[in-house]
Amino acid sequence: MMSRTERRKSMAERRPSVSYTPSVIPHLAGLEKPQEPSLKIDQCDVLIMGTGLVESILAASLSWQGVQVLHIDNKNYYGDSSSTLTIDQLKKWCMEVNSGRLQHFQDAQIYIPGGKSTNKFNSKDYGIDLSPKVMFCKSDLLALLIKSRVYKYLEFQSLSNFHVFENDDFSQKITTQTSKEDIFTDKSLSLITKRNLMKFLKFILTDNKDPVKKKILVDNGKVKVQDFLVKQFNLELPQINELVYSIGLCINEGTETREAMAKIKRFLVSFDVYGSFPVMVSKYGGPGEISQGFCRSAAVAGTTYKLNTSLVDYDPRSKIAKFNDGSHVKINEKLVISPTQVPKFLQSNYNEVTENLKQFSITRLITVVRRDCKEWMAEQDSSAIVVFPPHSLPTNNEQSVQVIIQNGNTGVCPEGQSIWFSHTSEQDLNRAKQDLESAYEKMEASLLREANADLEGAFDDQDFVLSAQGTPVFVNSFKLGESLQNFVPKEKLEIVCKVGYVQKTYANPDLSNIFHATAEDNVVLKNVADAENDILFSNMPSAELSYDGNISEAKLIYQKITGSDEDFFDVDFEDDDDDYDNNDPHDSSNLGSSTTLKSSSSNALASDNEDVIVDSSDDDDHNPFGADEMEL
Amino acid sequence: MSFPNPATSVKLVLLGEAAVGKSSLVLRFVSNDFQENKEPTIGAAFLTQKCTIGERTIKYEIWDTAGQERFASLAPMYYRNAQAAIVVYDITKPASFIKARHWVKELHEQASKDITIALVGNKYDLVEDDTEEESLRKVSVEEGKGLAEEEGLLFFETSAKTSYNVNDVFIGIGSKIPEAASAGPNQIHQTNNDGRIDLTSDPNNRPRAAGDCAC
Repeated sequence: MMSRTERRKSMAERRPSVSYTPSVIPHLAGLEKPQEPSLKIDQCDVLIMGTGLVESILAASLSWQGVQVLHIDNKNYYGDSSSTLTIDQLKKWCMEVNSGRLQHFQDAQIYIPGGKSTNKFNSKDYGIDLSPKVMFCKSDLLALLIKSRVYKYLEFQSLSNFHVFENDDFSQKITTQTSKEDIFTDKSLSLITKRNLMKFLKFILTDNKDPVKKKILVDNGKVKVQDFLVKQFNLELPQINELVYSIGLCINEGTETREAMAKIKRFLVSFDVYGSFPVMVSKYGGPGEISQGFCRSAAVAGTTYKLNTSLVDYDPRSKIAKFNDGSHVKINEKLVISPTQVPKFLQSNYNEVTENLKQFSITRLITVVRRDCKEWMAEQDSSAIVVFPPHSLPTNNEQSVQVIIQNGNTGVCPEGQSIWFSHTSEQDLNRAKQDLESAYEKMEASLLREANADLEGAFDDQDFVLSAQGTPVFVNSFKLGESLQNFVPKEKLEIVCKVGYVQKTYANPDLSNIFHATAEDNVVLKNVADAENDILFSNMPSAELSYDGNISEAKLIYQKITGSDEDFFDVDFEDDDDDYDNNDPHDSSNLGSSTTLKSSSSNALASDNEDVIVDSSDDDDHNPFGADEMEL
Repeated sequence: MSFPNPATSVKLVLLGEAAVGKSSLVLRFVSNDFQENKEPTIGAAFLTQKCTIGERTIKYEIWDTAGQERFASLAPMYYRNAQAAIVVYDITKPASFIKARHWVKELHEQASKDITIALVGNKYDLVEDDTEEESLRKVSVEEGKGLAEEEGLLFFETSAKTSYNVNDVFIGIGSKIPEAASAGPNQIHQTNNDGRIDLTSDPNNRPRAAGDCAC
């Protein structure tokens, strides 16, 4: 073996003298950036700017229909406003936000405690979603992921536990890990309450065409859901909170019955599709990861990708677009521009079309903690959801605070750590921040308390010890889930990184202007008059915790470009890569076709989420609760 | 007769300049097919191919760049959990060899540390019958070998057209992939302990029998 100090022979020395002509090897200066500097295409049908989730789905859908797409992003990473970032990227991103260069984001703060020696971490070990989401097991996006085969690029993990914070207590939780009937039996319920709950569940799973149900929904559709649940089903507050804010993920007390029913149903029909859990998370990141998947699919179908590229000019008459890399491309049809990528020369057009739109704020607080938070997760899970319903926090929050917790096993952070993604739709930004901080403190206290309980658990070979007087004392009462009020944590939770920011969007938190978009309330349908209507703007991500609305928006844009959404992903991918599989040239032990793609029949049937949300259609074949047997 | 060992899934990524024959190489491997004027992309997702090396069966999941390498726009997803990579260049195109060096560097930065990389000089058929004076070859065997040694890569010269050495590349990679790595948590398509949900199974028809095995 060569010793360390021995000089390696140079390439020239090692090279044989005969068969090689050195002059033809280009200079090594090309090593760092051998890629072609500018776009080598002279035209495309559609230019899409921004590689966010909606834009990526759009790129794939257009490409698979034979539309020539050029997809660029002014960042050097995929995902745009739904990106998954490392800590270093996030630092840079925060600076950009605060310099005003990233429209629709503001007030970014990043806090990394300690120095390099006390808070050691490797930035690349983290994947922090700018707009984290969870996937219902029965949803339009999941059906599309399967149909388009994009799911093959992804890994999904189950999420079973939905915790709801109530009466200053964290122990109320919906855990679906045991069996479907047990969803509500985490706390002992009275027989009457149980019966009322079952009645309600049966109602909600009844076909919407059922005349009785229909009438009740028509009569009460606009009634606030709490009032409806009290009046119609005699439900009590704890159950209402669970149903509306936890299971339903509704965000405030103004939620109307129709919307809430659809959202509660969304949970129930998603349960038991792939197992006893209602939602899944994609490993290594949410929307950022799925965006990459759709971009890859689009690339396979012929889309050209170029990151780090922005539009510097567009002439609507010649239809020539000029880019910052110096290239010129003729755009035959349309330009789709994400709100964070609007070029300066189009700013006034963008301001004009968004002038009368109602803007909503989403305030986010993301904390990376040195705890795996397993105590909140079901056995097989690595994620959980925590919901703080309205008025459950000391800040008297009006909007619920929703938190997704993911630990190292989901690939977004190292083992032994977890990321808490919290957000609120509170429009008063000061209150929003207070709500999020307050929710954070409650979670921290709960975690530390449980950890303390565990410590004591180390001593409790027996549940009772004798006091000095000889009377047995119950030592392990911490575990009984009493209120956090008297618990003062002695230690602080170790934090790797804390990030807060505010995002603006024209998408209503209830998604009404996405599902039922009109030219009055959705920017996609606005016309940019002096650009010959060649230019479309997309929306920022919504506050919705699930992926609902993304496909609807992609379809909306698709329809505006192609005139109809009938052939949206109308592609048959069946078996086109399994063909090779049975044909093994090595004649090794051929085990036959490896991956049989059978799209889940229930997902194939999954109606648009639009339908799920507005609950206008129904599918009877799916009765996850065996509703018939549930009548007590 | 004992049951064959379950196939170990290995994600393999392809890298290299456009038109060096990345896709042709894979098509030759998975289908023993070579198309003179083939489309520059393959398949909707990725190609799979089993390969038996001694006692082990390796199931390659082969990811093509789908053109995203052209403007340096490969996503992190592409490199993630790749256990093997083939960096391809064209032995008649020196520029493609330079780019191969770039891709090796990129792999060291982006991919996992224990990735098995093969450097492949393709289009051997073009130089097979060459005389020394008049050769289309612009990158010598020694040069390829040199880079491979320097970076700890496997090295092959292949022809996707004549299939020369093609299978050897995949067998070579397979024998170099450590058992432990392939039994790790990143295994693909296996009901495992990290909670990955198998979306391919028909949820109304679970559990799916292991019986789609044709043996």
